Amino acid sequence: MSSRVSRRSVLSASLASALGACDARLAGGGERAALWYSYGGKNREVLERLLARFHRDPQRPRIDATFQGDYFESLAKVRTAIAAGAAPALTHVVAEVVPYLAEAGALEPLDRYEGAADLDLVPGIAQSGTYLGGAERPLVAVPFNRSVPVMYVNKVMLERAGVGIPQNWAELRAGANALTLRRGTEVAVWGFECPVSWWFWVALLASAGGKVVDASGEVTLGGDAGVRALDLWQTLIHRDRVMRPPLGRDYNAWQVTTQDFLSGRAAILWSSAAFLRYIEESARFPVTVAPLPRDVRHAVPTGGTLFVILRAAEEREKRAAWQFLRWMTEREQTTEWSTSTGYLPATRAAVHELTRTGYYDAHPSDKVVLGELDAIEPWPWSPTLFRVQREIMDPLLENAVLEGTDAARALEKGRREALLP
Amino acid sequence: MKPARPHEPYLLLLPTVLLLTLFFLVPFFVAAKESLYSWDLLTPRTYVGLANYRLLWERGELWRAFRNTLAYSAVVVSGALVLGLLLALLLDRKGRLAAFVRGTVFSAYVVSWVAVALLFMWMLDGEAGVVTRVVVALGLPKKNWLGDPAVALYTLAVVSIWKIAGYSMIVFLAGLQDIPPVLYEAAALDGAGRIMRFRSVTWPALGPSAAFVATTSLILSFQAFDVVRIMTQGGPVHATQLFVYAIYEQIFLNLRVGRASALTVLFGVLVFSLAALQLRLFRGRGVA
Repeated sequence: MSSRVSRRSVLSASLASALGACDARLAGGGERAALWYSYGGKNREVLERLLARFHRDPQRPRIDATFQGDYFESLAKVRTAIAAGAAPALTHVVAEVVPYLAEAGALEPLDRYEGAADLDLVPGIAQSGTYLGGAERPLVAVPFNRSVPVMYVNKVMLERAGVGIPQNWAELRAGANALTLRRGTEVAVWGFECPVSWWFWVALLASAGGKVVDASGEVTLGGDAGVRALDLWQTLIHRDRVMRPPLGRDYNAWQVTTQDFLSGRAAILWSSAAFLRYIEESARFPVTVAPLPRDVRHAVPTGGTLFVILRAAEEREKRAAWQFLRWMTEREQTTEWSTSTGYLPATRAAVHELTRTGYYDAHPSDKVVLGELDAIEPWPWSPTLFRVQREIMDPLLENAVLEGTDAARALEKGRREALLP
Repeated sequence: MKPARPHEPYLLLLPTVLLLTLFFLVPFFVAAKESLYSWDLLTPRTYVGLANYRLLWERGELWRAFRNTLAYSAVVVSGALVLGLLLALLLDRKGRLAAFVRGTVFSAYVVSWVAVALLFMWMLDGEAGVVTRVVVALGLPKKNWLGDPAVALYTLAVVSIWKIAGYSMIVFLAGLQDIPPVLYEAAALDGAGRIMRFRSVTWPALGPSAAFVATTSLILSFQAFDVVRIMTQGGPVHATQLFVYAIYEQIFLNLRVGRASALTVLFGVLVFSLAALQLRLFRGRGVA
């Protein structure tokens, strides 16, 4: 008897809990959307914290967030999911791939959604400022984790060597030479480290006055400026031996260089502002953040990713995704995301709030990053940009830097390859 | 004599044939068809004929993947054979210590490739890795094990040998324990020393085991992906781009379904040819 009662109790409890769950779903309109993201480490913790806060209100839709590997792995999965008819409603992609996805019709135009015109985004990192002519196109991408390349400096090492913060390429070269510490034939401390990746090469190229794609849409790879940019790396690695040769591709390279800087094996590091909080909290020495040294002008490309809603997702999911996206661009969330990670605040309201509360006075490194908004070099709206990056430039840069091949000839080969279908 | 149930063998083969058709032949023919198109999974396909094959050839990608895969396989197969055999000969004895060492050596085989790759990345760090420290302590010059294009492929091959040597050892041990002791006694009575006994008794008797190890390690080396994906991503300068990784890179990173399919077809042809050759060789020796 007692066993029967007990079984009945269990069944009742299960039914009640199932009904309760149904109620909860009904309260939120029963809506949910998938979010595929690529944040790891601290950034992931912050996102999960924000997600938990979003879900605290039962009226809001449920966002099923899933980690999908790094940016490129995630993009591969997104593309495959679109082809398989199982696309998530919301994801975030690197700036270079947005034109390609938009021109392929994969991205949902967002202008029709309620409140799209009131997002109050920071122009330099919004679609309008990220791309040449970005403001004239339908809105398809909303900034969230946007960054710029910056220079991290081990203050102790620079002071000890009597080296100032490099302001231009010549000072960078001289400083790296002075900071490199050799023991016999081995290098104990590298004066300068930087992942040999497309993003930093574009930063160098922009600083040297060039453009990857010209106004007519032709892939020029910066012409002479591109050669100068590549030549600087080759000089630092092969001639001066003050920059550590690349030790890995894609995000391995970023990890290696960051770890070298944090462990005192590199004095100057070029990396993303996205690492700001992590580097400041992990370094056991004072770190100074500065703009990249310039050549003929001060210009930096934007990095990080933009949120996109995929057109192939169901209408209900897209609405839910938009609700979450809007919530994330509200002042409170944008401010928290930026201060917790180092990424640029996506809305002007967040910038005003942080300025008003004295955050930038208390955090000079964040102020340096914010100041880079004045030097942003927009990406061309070129559907081939992603292919140029992945298929041509990343392998070409690695090859040219490791093997020391002639920079002009290497880039000429790259331009020819860009013409291939 | 007419068999009583002539259709029975075919019926018994049917499940295997169906599975092979579904999971191997159909995808292969789909890939063959896709290799004639340019497609990125998002925009409509465009028929390009044999352009994908031509581009792979002209850009040197085909030759690079072919050369890297063969070099990697040659080192892995020969390394697995030699190390597996040496370990088996060394540990083919009774006692708890030998059993413990056998178990320890074999344990590497059951550890996941991802764990092995991450462990070796740490050990092979060009500055602070334990391997580098040992090299420096011995007074030898530092090597950039995973960053030097001339070295990286062989570094990956050595990691793979370390991983599969335990398996080869077990196969050789089974082969050794199948050799009747009377053969060794007869050889000893005829005055054969240790080396002669190995050459005249052990090695000929281990023929089937060696063939099995060669075949399985060849298959493993042709399937290598995890170790490349984690340790080098095909770099530096494409030096570790094996066939399977090249296919992955084309389809998932470069968004080129057509070129990935063309590589798949060529890889299929290469594997079929090698399998046919191996089968022919082993049948000739009465092994398979």
